[in-house]
Amino acid sequence: MLASGGILLVLKSAGAINATTTYILACIPVGLMVAFFIEVRRRQDGPARASSASVRYLKGIFATSMAYMLGLGIAIWTWNNVEVTTGVTWLLAMLPIIPILAMVFVMGRYIVEEDDEYLRQRFMQASLIGLGFVLSIGSFYGFLETFDLVPHVPGWWAVPIWAVGMGVGQGWLNWRDRTLDDGDEA
Amino acid sequence: MKNRLKVLRAERDWSQQDLADRLGVSRQSVNAIEKGRYDPSLPLAFTIAETFDLAIEDIFQKDEA
Repeated sequence: MLASGGILLVLKSAGAINATTTYILACIPVGLMVAFFIEVRRRQDGPARASSASVRYLKGIFATSMAYMLGLGIAIWTWNNVEVTTGVTWLLAMLPIIPILAMVFVMGRYIVEEDDEYLRQRFMQASLIGLGFVLSIGSFYGFLETFDLVPHVPGWWAVPIWAVGMGVGQGWLNWRDRTLDDGDEA
Repeated sequence: MKNRLKVLRAERDWSQQDLADRLGVSRQSVNAIEKGRYDPSLPLAFTIAETFDLAIEDIFQKDEA
């Protein structure tokens, strides 16, 4: 996911692909990300237990991710192919923004609704790891950009970077749990 | 914090999943508490104590420095 995002960024910056192609290609890592989240949660809860909060979270993330891809696709296609007024441009920009806000709400709702305190703590830890990714990469790249060493990158990359960081965090926490887990012994 | 969850479970012939079901938490939670990787909140510690019909201090002990 990280590699494909990086490759897309380089290709787009170099002008090798246009915005529409970038969007189509970006759907692949986003789809992978959704599948990755589902697998992580499935392994975490196992077949014996999936809390209602987890199920609502997965459904919410899936729905908002699909809405994001659809909204972004419509906005980019319209922007490239139709002459629009400033007012309509504002509306177009809102198409991907609203699902992202909804995604943040879904994550916040999961923290409130999850009644298993250990799973809630794990989610918070993974979220903080994601935040660490955003702050580190954002600061690092931002200063390089300030000194004209690298091309400009739009601010919306914060969410994908956060999601990747959170995925890495979940993966690490799962690995740690599996390593120390002695199974469902009697 | 040390705990006797594994011993108490074994005495009752409960699996981690059995205990998790009684506590209303995931098996991962029971495993993490047993391994000392996660210290439960006071409400969960009380629930664990009630499940085993013991006092909290009979299950959880502070680590000696």
